[in-house]
Amino acid sequence: MLYLFCTILGAGFHPAQIVKLKRSYYKEYAIIAILLLALVVLNLILGSVIIPVKDIVSTLLGHHTSDFVSDILFSLRIPKLITALMAGAALSICGLQMQTLFKNPLADPYILGISSGAGLGVAFFVMGVSAFGISMPSSLFFSLGIATSAWIGAFAITLLILLVSYRLKDNISLLIFGIMLGSAVSALISLFQYFSSTSALKVFVLWTMGSFTGLNPGQIWVMFFLILTGFALSVYNIKDLNTLLMGEAYAKSLGVNLEKTRRRILVATTLLAGSVTAFCGPIGFIGIAAPHIARLFFRNADHKVLIPATALLGAVIMVFADTAAQLSTPIIPINTVSALIGVPVILAIILKNRFV
Amino acid sequence: MLILEKLCLGYNKVIYREINARAGKNEIIALVGPNGVGKSTLLKSIAGIQKYHSGTIKILNKDIRSYPPNKLAEQLSFVPSQSPRAKNFSLFDMVSTSCYNRTNWLGKISEQDYDFIYSTLKKVGLDGFAGRDSSKLSDGEFQRAAIARSLVQDSQIILLDEPTAFLDIANKITITRLLKEIAEQENKTIIFSTHDLQHALKICDKIWIMGHSQFFSGEPENLIEKGAFEQMFKDSSLKFDSKLFTYI
Repeated sequence: MLYLFCTILGAGFHPAQIVKLKRSYYKEYAIIAILLLALVVLNLILGSVIIPVKDIVSTLLGHHTSDFVSDILFSLRIPKLITALMAGAALSICGLQMQTLFKNPLADPYILGISSGAGLGVAFFVMGVSAFGISMPSSLFFSLGIATSAWIGAFAITLLILLVSYRLKDNISLLIFGIMLGSAVSALISLFQYFSSTSALKVFVLWTMGSFTGLNPGQIWVMFFLILTGFALSVYNIKDLNTLLMGEAYAKSLGVNLEKTRRRILVATTLLAGSVTAFCGPIGFIGIAAPHIARLFFRNADHKVLIPATALLGAVIMVFADTAAQLSTPIIPINTVSALIGVPVILAIILKNRFV
Repeated sequence: MLILEKLCLGYNKVIYREINARAGKNEIIALVGPNGVGKSTLLKSIAGIQKYHSGTIKILNKDIRSYPPNKLAEQLSFVPSQSPRAKNFSLFDMVSTSCYNRTNWLGKISEQDYDFIYSTLKKVGLDGFAGRDSSKLSDGEFQRAAIARSLVQDSQIILLDEPTAFLDIANKITITRLLKEIAEQENKTIIFSTHDLQHALKICDKIWIMGHSQFFSGEPENLIEKGAFEQMFKDSSLKFDSKLFTYI
């Protein structure tokens, strides 16, 4: 088929050249897909209770096994797995877009303080609610409230960073600004914590540790649609992201509306990172690590390739981290595991100077 | 084709005043002037990348401010002095980004554009390079790639900001010859800024001089006669030698 295409295109071009250009990434995608599938299965099997594959299969097929097994699967591991998959994909795509936008290989929602922004929003909400004496941690009002306040916080910080990025053209300065902003926000959060009730404090601290558990189907659906919207917007951003790779002056001379593009990336990242942070807490390092692993593995900077690759790899890393976390008793917070995976990747980037 | 009328550069305050110049089809124009006088600003203002203070820039007798960005991009393309290089971005992908206004929302390249990109790469002497990592090209090759990119954008006017800076003599000559060829064969208007006056005087149809105090535009011989080049560095001890085409 490809050869036919080459012959039709013909006109003196060497077919091998076109084959190389139109290189498909089936092999790479297949490897990641198999890896993801294996990890998904492992994630369902492993844990404080090991469930044999045949029990998983028969439970999933609807055959009656034991209430114990189906309880663990349907109310614990499967919702957690779905959440982890979504979170990994969302944070990674978010990181990829920020790296391209800021032309900074170390940009991600966590480092630039966007997750802390979401944290501030949640702190406001959790502590505000408890101050008014309303405490219904599982009610829809509460979960939607956390989500909304996290987005508002995330959006406010992203907006601030974006505004500053007009002035600070230098990436390192912007990165330092983001880190400083994150510290300032953390300080504000500490202040809130100091004045809040014990129960509110506990809710908030647990939220900051990051967790994929405890989401009910309603919350998973809300998260799914938000991330889907963010993902769709990210896919729409692909064309502009590719032009941004070669500098803003060039992008502008092509007729790209930079302000609109920046805003679109901002909204997409807020939808993605804000939602994940809202429901699962601030999860760091995946946003930086996954895009770089995708670049190394696929050796292509085209966002048409990178967006799906990064999403898949992000999901792989997140499920891996979750499986690792799940293996210990008591379960380690997901943020600890993601840092253990992410930090070496970041260090490797700095040491090898593998900039975008 | 391109008309500048009483153009004053700058955003809040004027950094350069009263530029009056014209550029026609098939013309290759060199923009010369001392460092920091505003050559890049002029090119970027024409390209619509930067705002200008006052005056008018007209393309095909229409103010550029009345063009929507995508329509302006059909008239003008811009080659920055140093484009950032994206690692693992193939030369083909790099050049194909300039089909921006012709592709669908995902940036899919049509078969027609495939052929166009290949023939353009051939024209700039980069055939066989399409699949290579653009960030690993040599400086001369990368500059030719950037020129190919603006050719694929298929605009009538091509603006280049110091395309030959950072290049060795052989590459400098290759690039300027290529530009001359493009202007002649493809009916394009080419305006590029340069410090290589000698070479510019030999190949260009017109020279735009941004002196510290005055802007000159004209054919090389006329400018030499008028003593315009003396104006360019008039506060220094440099003298323009009209036989050697250079300052001594």
